[in-house]
Amino acid sequence: MENFVKDDTTQESRKYKWCKWLLIFTIIILIIRLWDLQIMKGSDMRKLSEQNRIRIKKVVAPRGMIYDRAGRIMADTRPSFNMYITPEDIKDFNQTVDGLAKLIDIDREDIIDKMKVASGLPPSFPVKIKSDISMDEVAKIEANRIYLPGVTIQIEPKRNYPYAKMMAHMLGYVSEVSDEELKNKSLKGYSPGDNIGRYGLERAYETYLRGKDGEKRVEVNAMGREVRTLETIEPIAGNNLYLNINLDVQLTVEKAFENKKGGCIALETKTGAVLALVSRPSFDPNKFASGITKEDWKAITTDKMHPLQNRAIQGRYPPGSTFKIVSALKVLEEGIINEKTGFSCRGGFPFGNRVFKCWKKGGHGGVSMHRGIVESCDVFFYNVGLKLGVDRIHGMSEAIGLTKITGIDLPGEKNGLVPSTAWKQKTYGQPWYEGETVSVSIGQGAVWLTPIQLAQLSAFVANEGVTFKPHIVNRIVSLEGKTIKTFEPVMNTNVKLKKDVFRIVKEGMRGVVNEPSGTAYGSRLPNISICGKTGTAQSVGEKGKNLGDHAWFIAFAPFEEPTISISVLVEYGGHGSSAAAPVAKSITETFFKERVVIKEARIHENR
Amino acid sequence: MKIDKRKASHLDWYLIINGLILFAIGIFNLVSATSSFYSGSYNFIMKQLISFSIGLILIFIIIQYDYRIIANHSKWFYVLAIAFILLVLIIGMMAGGAKRWINIFGISFQPSEFMKPILVLYLANMLYEKKREGKALSLRDISMPMLATLIPFILIVKQPDLGTGIIIVFTSLSILWFVGLKKSTYALLFGIGAVIPFIAWQYLMKPYQKMRVLSFINIDADPSGFGYHAKQAVIGVGSGKFFGKGYMAGTQHKLQFIPEHHTDFIFTVFGEEWGFLGSIILFLLFLSFILRCLKIAQNAHNELGSIIAFGVATIIYLQFAINVMMAIHLAPVVGIPLPFISYGGSSMLTVMISTGLVLNVSMRRYMF
Repeated sequence: MENFVKDDTTQESRKYKWCKWLLIFTIIILIIRLWDLQIMKGSDMRKLSEQNRIRIKKVVAPRGMIYDRAGRIMADTRPSFNMYITPEDIKDFNQTVDGLAKLIDIDREDIIDKMKVASGLPPSFPVKIKSDISMDEVAKIEANRIYLPGVTIQIEPKRNYPYAKMMAHMLGYVSEVSDEELKNKSLKGYSPGDNIGRYGLERAYETYLRGKDGEKRVEVNAMGREVRTLETIEPIAGNNLYLNINLDVQLTVEKAFENKKGGCIALETKTGAVLALVSRPSFDPNKFASGITKEDWKAITTDKMHPLQNRAIQGRYPPGSTFKIVSALKVLEEGIINEKTGFSCRGGFPFGNRVFKCWKKGGHGGVSMHRGIVESCDVFFYNVGLKLGVDRIHGMSEAIGLTKITGIDLPGEKNGLVPSTAWKQKTYGQPWYEGETVSVSIGQGAVWLTPIQLAQLSAFVANEGVTFKPHIVNRIVSLEGKTIKTFEPVMNTNVKLKKDVFRIVKEGMRGVVNEPSGTAYGSRLPNISICGKTGTAQSVGEKGKNLGDHAWFIAFAPFEEPTISISVLVEYGGHGSSAAAPVAKSITETFFKERVVIKEARIHENR
Repeated sequence: MKIDKRKASHLDWYLIINGLILFAIGIFNLVSATSSFYSGSYNFIMKQLISFSIGLILIFIIIQYDYRIIANHSKWFYVLAIAFILLVLIIGMMAGGAKRWINIFGISFQPSEFMKPILVLYLANMLYEKKREGKALSLRDISMPMLATLIPFILIVKQPDLGTGIIIVFTSLSILWFVGLKKSTYALLFGIGAVIPFIAWQYLMKPYQKMRVLSFINIDADPSGFGYHAKQAVIGVGSGKFFGKGYMAGTQHKLQFIPEHHTDFIFTVFGEEWGFLGSIILFLLFLSFILRCLKIAQNAHNELGSIIAFGVATIIYLQFAINVMMAIHLAPVVGIPLPFISYGGSSMLTVMISTGLVLNVSMRRYMF
């Protein structure tokens, strides 16, 4: 028992004191650290913990729909599955990337590239890796979820063009904003993965079509799995566009151009409303909306046919004989010749030391203005051109608006070129030669016009000096059906010419289609008097190779009260009469047959 | 055996109530910590309460026997504990990359935990006479205690369970210091102490353990692994601010941002939900518990009792301090449970056995 007796020494109590002080010291250290964490840095830590648990997910707003004038769908949205990666939630980068590359059709590099683009964003921001994945891919990803933390699939609206290649140039396309664009401050409010209108109406009306994305605040756990939704801000769908386009007319043209290259535009003569606009070759805009593949993009951009060019408003061609209308208008207006003035055509026109040929080898004999237009006599217009001089032709072109863009509501329109002596001096530093005027008078030489400009020329004659700015969009309507904006016709030109001038030219143009000797007689309609002008323009073939002539036809109808103006260009199509005029004929036919539909559209508009 | 009424009247109710409060806090905290688990809180709470009940029975048994008798048998407990630890290495269950548990008749437990109080008893029994004589311990004197510590340490670290190993070594060193050391012995121990970290780093530590130390030094060194968890733990505690987010309202642990938040990282749950104020109250409860153990050591009837109570105080102190420091990024992450609060049967029983030993010492302070 004695063994256990405790020995109380001073040294002993000093040890206990040591212990107590160590204990208190420890507690103080802990409290100081807690003070630092919970009081000094508490608010920051609270914020961090909130950021941990709350993910703000974008709810993509559906883009506005695009309808034709009768309310028929031309572009809509459909649900698609998009795959996202949230960088913060990835546990093992390589495992995720390799896993995905194995499961679905995507390259490792593609994933890494996408992640790099978003590297400046907070790591909790989901990065869109692949759009519009198939149901099969969705199933594979879902089944392997536990090996792919951070990978999520969202259902989002995707732009859809039911007519695919048709109307692509007019409607345009949407695609994801690029890294550079995001850096550009003018594009406010866009984040990676957002679609932006790139071309055509999609681009021109981007601000109306886009809509406002919504937001979903969700609580997630450490695996990035959603636990619950805390708050939802509903997206606001974009506004709908109602076009002036008549889908029937449009599809008629599309069909007519199936195996052709070129452009075509049909306008409502009295308003400038665009009834149809076609450019070929085309591309499938659907490919862009889900993120175009590198191969597809390369194929489109390196295609020698330039499918991305909208030939109707960007393609500049020599207008050929359609341009004779300009010379005719001017020469009659100036009173240099009259209806009865005749010139003799023997199939050629000697000038200087060369002979300018007429398309008709044997010649037309004695030709007046009417026959000159109807039969498109070159020699007649060589004479007219020389009497006018290039500057007066240029002046008339300017008055009609051929030297400027028409102002159609599509981006990228090109202006035309009608030469003048001043232009040549300025451009080449050389004087004008009269021989050049001979060429210009029949739409060759340095005359370059776009199909839409020639549609304006046709409308100019039809309306006797008045043209309207071509407009594709009729009105913008909100999701609730409220009209936000309507586009009233805007006058482009209002040129007063002598009454007879238009009568003579119009009668001439009627003769082109309706007189047996007319160059487009084959394209007449029994009950509608189409007025037109053919053109067959010599083209400078690519690399000096002559691929054939460009075929033109401009028209308006009916003669009595013109309502439609048309311009058709078939690249390397040969003769305007055989290649282009039939297109205008079917347009006119469809347009007047389908007026019922248009009446319906009016009812629709007034609703 | 009937308990002596006189002895019962000397039961340290202060220590008992203090322990009960800590336990109650632990249960409430555990309900919140485990409510986010798929199976819910029920299983965890039931198991914890069962462990506590068994612990109460063990305390009741422990205080019946004079601690001198218990200490006298300590070498058998020690041998038994070593045997179990060896058994773990042979037939133990793998969990979380370590073999720490053993399953006997459907009950799984962690033998290394029980080594803590057993070693205290064993060392106390070995050293009390030296202490009574007031002789400072020579190298020879500490050789046996050191060996008795080293054997379980090596076996436990092999599991690997660095946390328990550290507690054992530091407890044993504290006891040696408490008994008293010769200057030359101090010098030797310091010398070894200075070299050991390098040797450990070079030859003993596993890559993941090194990673933990590295990510302690630089929390961003391993942002997706240990550093991430350490950071999330700090965010959890810090986000509690002064009053805390409120009971059951902690998001950091509920949303699984903090691993092992019902065991080793349990303090993050408390810190997040009860804030600075609650944490300080918790600290004061631990402070009071440990000081009470020290007081019992001071007032013990003999040196054996002193050493036992001191050893237990050391265990509780080390576990408390390291566990909390781990959660607030003042110490590297090693698996050490917070006494009374962390989930775990073995840990709960160990704490209660230890408390039982202290109560035993306390109630026999006027004996003999």
